[in-house]
Amino acid sequence: MKKFSAMIATLFVLIMSGGAIGANSGENSFQLKCAACHSIGGGDQIGPDLMGVTKRRDPNWLSQWIIHPDKMLNEKDPIAMELLKKYNQVPMPNLGVTEAEARDLIDYIAAQSETQKKDSAVPAQQTTQEPPSAGVFFGGLKGVQLTALVVFFVLSTIVVFVFWQIAKSTRQPVPTIDMKSAYKLRKWFFFGTAVLVFGTLIATLPKTPYPDDFQTPDRLVYVAAKQFGFSFSSEPITSASDAGQSTIINSLELPQGALIEFRVTSLDVNHGFALYDADHSIIAQTQAMPGYTNRLRVRFPKPGTYQILCLEYCGLAHHLMHAAVTVR
Amino acid sequence: MNLAHKNTLNWIMVTFVLFIVLLLAGMFMRIIQANMFSSAQSWFYPMMTLHGVGMAGLWWVASIACASRVLSRYTAPSECVSRFALYGTVLGVLFLLASVFLGQFAAGWYFLYPLPFKGGWPTWATLSFLLSITILGATWLVWILDLLRSIAKKYTIGQALGWHYILGKTGPDVPPAVLITAVSLIAGVACLLSGVVVLLFFYYEMLTGVANDALLMKNLTFLFGHLLVNLSLYLAVAAVYDVFPSYTGRPWPSNKIVAISWNSVLVIVLLAYFHHLYMDFVQPTYFQYVGQIASYMSSIPAAVVTVFGAIALVYRAPVRWSLGFTLMFFGLMGWGIGGIGAVIDSTIAVNSKLHNTLWVPAHFHTYMIEGLVLMVLGYFYHYCQEKTKLQENLYFQKIIAALILVGGYGFLLMFYLSGAHSIPRRFAVYPADLSSGAQLSGIALIFISIFLLGLVLYIYETGRRWVKSLDV
Repeated sequence: MKKFSAMIATLFVLIMSGGAIGANSGENSFQLKCAACHSIGGGDQIGPDLMGVTKRRDPNWLSQWIIHPDKMLNEKDPIAMELLKKYNQVPMPNLGVTEAEARDLIDYIAAQSETQKKDSAVPAQQTTQEPPSAGVFFGGLKGVQLTALVVFFVLSTIVVFVFWQIAKSTRQPVPTIDMKSAYKLRKWFFFGTAVLVFGTLIATLPKTPYPDDFQTPDRLVYVAAKQFGFSFSSEPITSASDAGQSTIINSLELPQGALIEFRVTSLDVNHGFALYDADHSIIAQTQAMPGYTNRLRVRFPKPGTYQILCLEYCGLAHHLMHAAVTVR
Repeated sequence: MNLAHKNTLNWIMVTFVLFIVLLLAGMFMRIIQANMFSSAQSWFYPMMTLHGVGMAGLWWVASIACASRVLSRYTAPSECVSRFALYGTVLGVLFLLASVFLGQFAAGWYFLYPLPFKGGWPTWATLSFLLSITILGATWLVWILDLLRSIAKKYTIGQALGWHYILGKTGPDVPPAVLITAVSLIAGVACLLSGVVVLLFFYYEMLTGVANDALLMKNLTFLFGHLLVNLSLYLAVAAVYDVFPSYTGRPWPSNKIVAISWNSVLVIVLLAYFHHLYMDFVQPTYFQYVGQIASYMSSIPAAVVTVFGAIALVYRAPVRWSLGFTLMFFGLMGWGIGGIGAVIDSTIAVNSKLHNTLWVPAHFHTYMIEGLVLMVLGYFYHYCQEKTKLQENLYFQKIIAALILVGGYGFLLMFYLSGAHSIPRRFAVYPADLSSGAQLSGIALIFISIFLLGLVLYIYETGRRWVKSLDV
C-alpha cells in the first residue's frame, strides 16, 4: 500500500511539474519570441493582439503559422497576406519554433486570454502621450550631452565668426598680404590646435566605458537581443538553444548603486542596448552582436524605471524594440 | 563637343537629378518621423536605405567627376573610362531601385551583416542590392585606377605624393590638386577593396550557408563606408584648391607643409574608422584608442593647413563673390563645423552617450550637405560659368546662397539638438518618452523646404549655363 501511495504521489508530482514546465516554457517562449511584437489583451503592437486568437483561428492553421510563417507567406496564404497588409507589410519572421514549442505557446496564449477575459471588468490603465514640452530645444539637457552641445556651439561660432570676418575683409582688397605674418599666425594656430587636441585626449582617454577586471560586479545580467525584443536571464545565453533552456527574467529589477554587469549578445542581427534614465537621457550603451558578448558595467544612480532601446538598426520594427529595468 | 566636356555635363545632370530625388527621400523620412504621414510608415526604412546608399554614392561619383576634370588640366585621364563609369553607375542605381522599390529592401546604407539576410524582404531583393553594390564598386574601382594611371604617367609616386617637398626640394611642381587626388585615390583603392571583400563574404555565405564573423564584417564595412565618405570630401577639396586661385588672384602652391599634411591624412584616414566600433566592447581596446587618437589628429592637417590656407588666400583678396566661389568658400566652413561635431563624437567617453543618436547624422550631414555638396555644386557652377561666361546677377546669387545656408544649418541644428536629447537615429517612429524628436523633425521640415527652394534656384542658375554650354 505504501508503495502504491508513493507511486501515486510520484505520478502526481511528475504530472504537476510537467504541467508547470509546460506552462513555464510557453511563457518563456512567448517572452522571448513573441512579446516584442504581440500582446495578449494589451492591444495591437507591431503585430495583432493575440487575445482569443486560439478561438478565432483554426488550431492547425495557427500552429503552422507559428512554425512556418515565411513558407505560408511565400505560398500566399490568404489570411497571412491579409495580416501582412494590415500590419504595414511587416512580415511575421520565422523564429525557429518547434512543434512542441508551438503547442506550449498556444496553450499559454489560450490560458492568458482566459485570465485577461476575467480581468476585463477592471478598466485598463490608459497610456497617454506626454504633452509637447515647451523646452523642446534645450529643456532637460544635462551631463555629457549638454557639455558636447555647448562645446560644439562655442567652437562652431568661432569658425562662423572667422569665415564671416574673412568674407567681409574682401571689401577692402589688397593685391598681396604679408605671408611672413600669415605663417607666424599659422604656427601659433598649429600650437593652439595641438594643445587643445592633446589636452582633450589626455583628459578623456582614461574615461572609457570598457570594463576592467579589477572590480567584481555585484550582479551579472545576461541579455539576449533578438528581433525585436530583449530577454534577460541570470544564466548565460549565447545561442537560441540556451535561450530556450535558461530561466527568463520577465521583470528585471536591480539594486540602486550596485555595480551591474550586463553581458549582452544577439541571437540574430546586430542590435544596440542603450539605457535611458527617467529624464530620457542615455546613461550607457553597448552593441549586441551575434557570436560575441559585450560586457557593459553600470551603476544606476537613482531608483526608478530605466528604459532600454535598441540603437542599432535591426529591421523593419527596429523602433519598437525596447525593454525596461526597475531600480530600487 | 569634345568627350571630356560631354562627360562632365552628363555627370552634372546625373548629380542634379539624383540629388533632388534623394533629397525628397530624406524629406520623406523626416515627414514620417514628424508623425505627418503615418500610413506610409512601412516605407521609412526602404527610403532610408535608398537615401543613404544614394547620397553616399552620388557625392562620391560627383567628387570623382570634379577631381577627374581638375586632373585633366595636368594629366590625361581616359574619357572612355569616365563614360564607362557613368554607364556602370546608372546600371548599379537601377539594381538598387529594383531592390528598394520592388523588394522593399531596407538594410540601411551600410547593410550591416547579417541584416541583409534576416530582414524579412525577399532573397532576390538582397541579391539585387548586393549586385548593385558590386557593379558600383567594380565600376568605381576601374575609374579611380584609371585616374591613378594618368597621374603615374606624368609623376612618380614620390612626386605625386609630394615627398620631394618633404625632403626639401622645390621641383618638380606638383599642383596641390594632383597631390590631394593621389592621396585620396590611393586610399580609395583600399576603400573599394574592403568593399569587395565584404561582398565576397556575403556571396560566400549565400552560396555555402557558412556564417561569417560579425565583428570582422563590421570592421570591413565601416572601413569601406568611412573611407568612401571622407575621400569624397578630400576629392572635392582638391577641386577647391585648384579653383580658388582663379578667384583670389593669389597662388596656392604645394609646399613642404601641404605635402606633410596630406601624407599624414593618408595614414590617419585609414585608422580613424575604428571610432565607428567604440560601442563594440569586444573590439581590442587599443583599436578604440587608436580610433580616438586618429580622429583627433585628423583635425590638425584639415584645420591648420587647408582651412587656414584657404582663409589666408581669401583674406582681403579682390574676390568676386559669384555663386561658385561663395558655395565653395562656405563649403570649407561647413567642413570645419562638421569636423567639430565629428571630433566631439569621436571622443570615446562622449560617444557612449551620443552613439547612434541623431548627433551622428547631424555631424555627417554638416560636412556633407554644407561641406562636400557646396564644394561640388560650387565647382559645377564654376565649370559651366567658365564655359559660357553668362552675365551674373550677384544679388540673386547671394539670395540662393543665403537660402541654402539658412535652410541647411536650420535643418542641421534640429539634428544636433535631437542628438543631445538622446533621440535615436534610424527610428521611423519615436516612443512617447522621446516625442521631442517628432517635434524637432517637424521644425526641420521647414528648414529643408528653405534649402530645397535654394537648391531649385541654384539648379535654375547653373542649369541655364549647362544648357548654353551644350553648344560650346
